[in-house]
Amino acid sequence: MVAQKITIEPVTRIEGHAKVTIRMNPDGTVEHAYMHVNEFRGFEKFCEGRMVFEMPNITPRICGICPVSHHLAAAKAGDKVLGAPPPRPANLLRELMHMGQIIQSHGMHFFELAGPDLLLGFDADPAIRNVVGIIQANPELAVKAVELRKYGQEIIHTLGGRRIHPTFAVPGGVNRALTAADREAILAGLDATIATIQAGIAIMKDWAARNMEDINKFAVFPTGYFGLITPKNSLELYEGDVRLISRDGSELERFDIQNYLDIIAEHTEPWSYLKFPYYKKLGYPNGVYRVGPLGRLNISEQIDTPLANAELKNFKTLNDGKPVENTLYYHYARLIEALFAAERVGVLLADPDILSKDVQNTRYNPQPHGVGVIEAPRGTLIHDYTANENGQLTKVNLIVSTGHNNWAMSNAVDSVAKTYVKGPEIKEGMLNRVEAAIRAYDPCLSCSTHAVGTMPMIVDVENADGEIIQTLRRD
Amino acid sequence: MQDVPAALIYGYGNPDREDDGVAWHILSLVCQKLGRPAPSEPEEEFLSTGISPDIIFALQLTPEVSELASRYERVCFVDAHTGAIEDDLHTAPVESHFQSSPFTHHLTPESCLSMVETLYGKKPEAVLVSVRGYRFGFARTLSEPTSRLAEKAADWIINWLNEK
Repeated sequence: MVAQKITIEPVTRIEGHAKVTIRMNPDGTVEHAYMHVNEFRGFEKFCEGRMVFEMPNITPRICGICPVSHHLAAAKAGDKVLGAPPPRPANLLRELMHMGQIIQSHGMHFFELAGPDLLLGFDADPAIRNVVGIIQANPELAVKAVELRKYGQEIIHTLGGRRIHPTFAVPGGVNRALTAADREAILAGLDATIATIQAGIAIMKDWAARNMEDINKFAVFPTGYFGLITPKNSLELYEGDVRLISRDGSELERFDIQNYLDIIAEHTEPWSYLKFPYYKKLGYPNGVYRVGPLGRLNISEQIDTPLANAELKNFKTLNDGKPVENTLYYHYARLIEALFAAERVGVLLADPDILSKDVQNTRYNPQPHGVGVIEAPRGTLIHDYTANENGQLTKVNLIVSTGHNNWAMSNAVDSVAKTYVKGPEIKEGMLNRVEAAIRAYDPCLSCSTHAVGTMPMIVDVENADGEIIQTLRRD
Repeated sequence: MQDVPAALIYGYGNPDREDDGVAWHILSLVCQKLGRPAPSEPEEEFLSTGISPDIIFALQLTPEVSELASRYERVCFVDAHTGAIEDDLHTAPVESHFQSSPFTHHLTPESCLSMVETLYGKKPEAVLVSVRGYRFGFARTLSEPTSRLAEKAADWIINWLNEK
């Protein structure tokens, strides 16, 4: 058999073009595999010249999947540029909206994207390995999963006031207070939400117990871990310093996000348009790190809500207290975070300040530069704005969570391909595992536009001369 | 109007990316043809009149729409398209069929209908109306050819509503 190249290409219409290339050795083993991304970067230029107070309404248009994260990160950067720290009630309300986003996004990912692999098996017939397969296997759970996402969306809608591009967070606070009636409406759905997430955790743990061999050979590798943290090293998704730990769990840095350029830099590779962030002191690639659910739980020593904290204790036993390196445990971490977010909704709604009308600071002390950060569902999202004396933006830098995980996703693809892909015949289940390696990170590659049609997976198998000898396609 | 089957017209796309947001323009035209007030911008909701059809615009087609769609006897999905679809104005019945989308969080109409059937035991008559897009930059306007197609799409939807 000659050496061959396999390309897995999710075809998108406009942007977010990404593909996986697997280079095969003549003996049918994998030589090397990697993911390359053409991520749309023109948005930063588009934002230059805009007024800083416009940004919370402009940047959500980057992404139809996590617009709330961009909305809040932009408002937080605006707080800094305008020198207007929000009153406490405004921060509580912003965080409440953020928890809605975490619940809907994590719930959607587990039940609709990861769930089919876990519940039905990586090698299940693709015709049934989807959410409909889950519905058929467990219809009651499926209805609850849809309700879970809807619950998160309703929190966002309640606060944002409209279905498209909510206008809620503004530099200095938010533009409306929460009513008592809305508070009660959100509370009414909370118990069911927590129960559904707990059901998801039970499914995950049951699956893990039966699939430990896969978990322990599926893209397990050391990296650093990066994310927001509370002063007591508790899980934090909205506000705090950044904590960066090493592959053995020791703290490398704890810093204010305003100084992030002193800590991290971005490496470029000729085969990808998406840069590779890394910890400057360790250099590239030794300084690469992971963000998102796995990264956040690895940097956290505890969680400040009881049910999620109990799960975290279990999570910490998975690698004897050291950072958990298994890519497939992203799914478990995601559910623990969803549980935290749901519990946190209860905490926020019980806060005496949550119905306060003191929601906006209008006293400004403009600054030339400000950085906003939030833990988006997929990881740390950074908005970095430079403004002139009128608050007009002269420079915008956005580091999205998918970018932080770029190296890890590519390495996961390489690891999984080497473990599971064997030629000459490339079976669908092998390909699905490679996809699953990417899916675990829940990347956001192409969500700001879409139209009729899915993202078909195309696999071209090429021989050493570049001739396509086999094409697999799944719509 | 009492015996008219309840219909939902559900359009989706990114209104900030030119032709990708054509569904919002089509829905606005449908409103005008029905003699209803149309919203002035995509952030405004289409008014619920209590009379069929209900008209909703969103950024994406997501799983919870299946619960909404299950409440109707007829559903019309409205979107943009490019590439492989031959017709500039594409109309077709939607058959229930789940299509995996390996990374994205949105559904196809076929997948949505599949969820309606399997989750809620309902089988609304569903159609897809899509219009070819030509430009996808950062703007809220439509390209000229897509704008012309939007008018035709709105007419098609009005006819579809009048079929029953």
